[in-house]
Amino acid sequence: MARPKLWKLNPMDFTKMTPARNEKIAAAPANKLPEADSYHPNKIANALHPKVQYLKVAKIVDEDDFTKSFYLEADAEKGTESLAWFNAGQYISIRLKIGDMSLSRPYSLASSPREALEKGYYMLTIRRVDDGLASRYIQDNWQVGTKVTASEPLGVFTYEPLRDAKNIVCVSGGGGVTPFRSIAKAIADGDEDANMILLYGSDSIKEALFNDEFEELARTCPNFKYVNVISGEPVEGKEHGFITADLIRKYAPEGDYSIFICGPAAMYNFVDKEIATLGLRKKFIRHEMFGEYFNPAKEADYPAEVAPEFKLTVRMAGKEYTLTAPANQSLLRTMENGGVAAPAHCRSGECGWCHSRLVSGEVYTPKSADGRREADLIYGYIHPCCAFPLSDVVIDVPPVVE
Amino acid sequence: MDNRYDVIVVGAGNGGLAAAANTAKAGLKTLLLEKHNLPGGCATSFRRGRFEFEPSLHELCSVGTAEKPNTVYKVLDELGTKINWEYEHDIFRVINKAGNYDLVLKAGIEDFCQSVDDAVPGCKENVRAFLALKPKIDAAIAYIYAMKGKPKGLTMLLKHTDFMRVAGHTVEQVMTALGIPKAAQDIINTYWGYLGVPTDELNAMHFLNMVHDYVVDGAAMPRHRSHEMSLALVDVIVKNGGEVRYNSEVTKFLYNEDGSVAGVVANGEELYSKEVISNVIPNNVFNMSDQSVIPEQNLKLANARDFGISVATIYLGLDCSVEELGLKDYTVFIQGHPDPRVQNDTRLDDGLYIVNCLNNVIPDSSPEGTCTLFFTMPIYGGDVPKDLKPEDYKKWKNALAKKYIEDAEKALNISIMPHIEEISVATPVTFARYLGTPEGTIYGYRLSGWDNLMARTAGEKTDYAIPGLSFCGGHYIRGDGYSCAYIMGDTIGKRVAKRIKGGA
Repeated sequence: MARPKLWKLNPMDFTKMTPARNEKIAAAPANKLPEADSYHPNKIANALHPKVQYLKVAKIVDEDDFTKSFYLEADAEKGTESLAWFNAGQYISIRLKIGDMSLSRPYSLASSPREALEKGYYMLTIRRVDDGLASRYIQDNWQVGTKVTASEPLGVFTYEPLRDAKNIVCVSGGGGVTPFRSIAKAIADGDEDANMILLYGSDSIKEALFNDEFEELARTCPNFKYVNVISGEPVEGKEHGFITADLIRKYAPEGDYSIFICGPAAMYNFVDKEIATLGLRKKFIRHEMFGEYFNPAKEADYPAEVAPEFKLTVRMAGKEYTLTAPANQSLLRTMENGGVAAPAHCRSGECGWCHSRLVSGEVYTPKSADGRREADLIYGYIHPCCAFPLSDVVIDVPPVVE
Repeated sequence: MDNRYDVIVVGAGNGGLAAAANTAKAGLKTLLLEKHNLPGGCATSFRRGRFEFEPSLHELCSVGTAEKPNTVYKVLDELGTKINWEYEHDIFRVINKAGNYDLVLKAGIEDFCQSVDDAVPGCKENVRAFLALKPKIDAAIAYIYAMKGKPKGLTMLLKHTDFMRVAGHTVEQVMTALGIPKAAQDIINTYWGYLGVPTDELNAMHFLNMVHDYVVDGAAMPRHRSHEMSLALVDVIVKNGGEVRYNSEVTKFLYNEDGSVAGVVANGEELYSKEVISNVIPNNVFNMSDQSVIPEQNLKLANARDFGISVATIYLGLDCSVEELGLKDYTVFIQGHPDPRVQNDTRLDDGLYIVNCLNNVIPDSSPEGTCTLFFTMPIYGGDVPKDLKPEDYKKWKNALAKKYIEDAEKALNISIMPHIEEISVATPVTFARYLGTPEGTIYGYRLSGWDNLMARTAGEKTDYAIPGLSFCGGHYIRGDGYSCAYIMGDTIGKRVAKRIKGGA
């Protein structure tokens, strides 16, 4: 072993450190510092993740009797110079003021990312739903020039080359086809490198959104295949019935493939059971969010004898609101109906944007929609979008900033 | 509601949380403002599918146990938190891809020295001599504190000579003087990656503090990811009457006519306090301040400094158990070349990266039949290609991730790619987004040769000269790392509380 010779180091060097540092500081300029946002990584971050996007309606297209596409462009006057790039399959959350209510809704971007970049628009395709407060409001009120406040692009229903099989089978129905339009176009644009087969269930060809476009795309893009599955009157040359495991097997390529599923709740009830019989590994099944959760009382673990309504106290950035909270309505809905703007994006329990502290009281969160973190359960945090009161509750909710 | 507070803390990172928990616990009316909707900054967690990922913590230093608590344990325990600690037994495995070594360093002074000796025979006592300097350093620091930062020069020179030798030199200078062979230095100095500065430049005392505590206490992890620690600290704040506001980004610092801080503006609302503690880096604070209140020296200092390191990270949820994966270690450092300086200089190519498998510390940290991997590559924000466009960003980061995953498959001789069920990739761009720091630095300012921990400590009074405005966090004296941030936040919170209560 070599003998330690620490004594060789001069202890007086220690006393030189401060003078050396002071010299370095004295030699520096006293300029105003560059803004953080002026650095390259910060610029990319801000371009991809703007805190808010101010948009306005540029064009409206009727897709069918009850579906409209809204083309939204950046509203430079309000400070949004250009639209954020996104990953095909993502959504934006739109903030709406309907009467006294302040609410948000997530809508998949139906256009491709390259259209946002090169043509300057996002397309949202919104189908009118009978009990759909927001879809009816948008269809009835948005006109060319209407100003819209939206979030950055959000969501993880996207193709991930390091995770997914190169061949993707996309299972869709009704208005749930919108993210697949974006993914198909991104493949055609060369921005995603996957082979896509779209199985699209509808009652008739007429009700298949973007049918002509998908057929055209299937002719021109070698990596995109389109299959109509008609559940109503049979159509010659088209598949008939529902999207079953057999049908998926028929069109699925040899080897590994990933299934992407997006559609209305009624479709999930059927298709999810079919897909379960395929015996695929979980990693090969990508499911879009289930959408807003209703009717907690139907769950087996929902407590018996819950009173019909409770008192909800909301603390938000130094203010306090008191509302009546029906037991069968999410706390988020109660806030929105009461005119309290509360943060929310996915409304499905997943994104955590509504993350709030339960100060007192008890709530029910259905297991299927519980996207909370482990520590949230220890310290009493909830996602109000899927939390239902079981007593009077007090919650501490972050404010909405626009 | 009243907009006047005793203390406003800006930023709920680890430092801000610890500071606010202290002022609230001291009975001061405390407001903690956070721009995100969650506390913690990097100390959080995120979910993808059936996985909950740890975003940034590799292992906590200076924790210890209930029976033998070290500083961080004491700080968090005295505040009243109950963290579910889990411990790592080996401290790390290091693989040199050129075939020089693949070894596991054990915790405990004897075992640690022996594991280095196994790789480089004959150096055991020299390594022990390095670790044995720690009590001398502690004694010197205790003396300096007792003298309120004004130690007598002669006492220092006569009684704390070794402290001066260590604190006045770099890691490599001290290790070389101790006769530790270069090959053994390189193995121990693998840890440079945690501080972001190669050991030929890093202050020896700083490094020794960290290595010693890892060796003696082992490394600790909170059971429920860092989010657990952040929520535990928020719990202390609110239970002591403090207020935490999320989605509340501070956009302006307000000052009195005498140049002392008066408060801040968040979401357009003016909020006033006797003192402000900023977890936000001085660069950003100065740019939110009237330039005339910033002392010239403070502005020059910020201009003189380089930004610290950032990281690229990969989070993988795998659909195989850790046994099926065939990885036994929690922390594996993988390097192309043994020398830290070379690793730093080749960081975009074949430098140094870390692979963590949390299931090897907390087996059920992911569902049965699955495990998670967490890759960390120390790189700078300035390493993000200058011509990279937002639309090409995802392709760029996926290419980076692919390269490192494939490299790890080879180095560890395991199969990762076919098992990826969830993936998320972060880069300095991600940290720029979440932290808002220039270039996405996670370590504040670079702990460079001239701006090392000791020199920073000596300069504290002149470096932070705006009355009523204190700083804490990775950009502060001790640099980054969870432990340092908690300790500094605790110190600053206590100091501010004492000042306000003393003056009341």
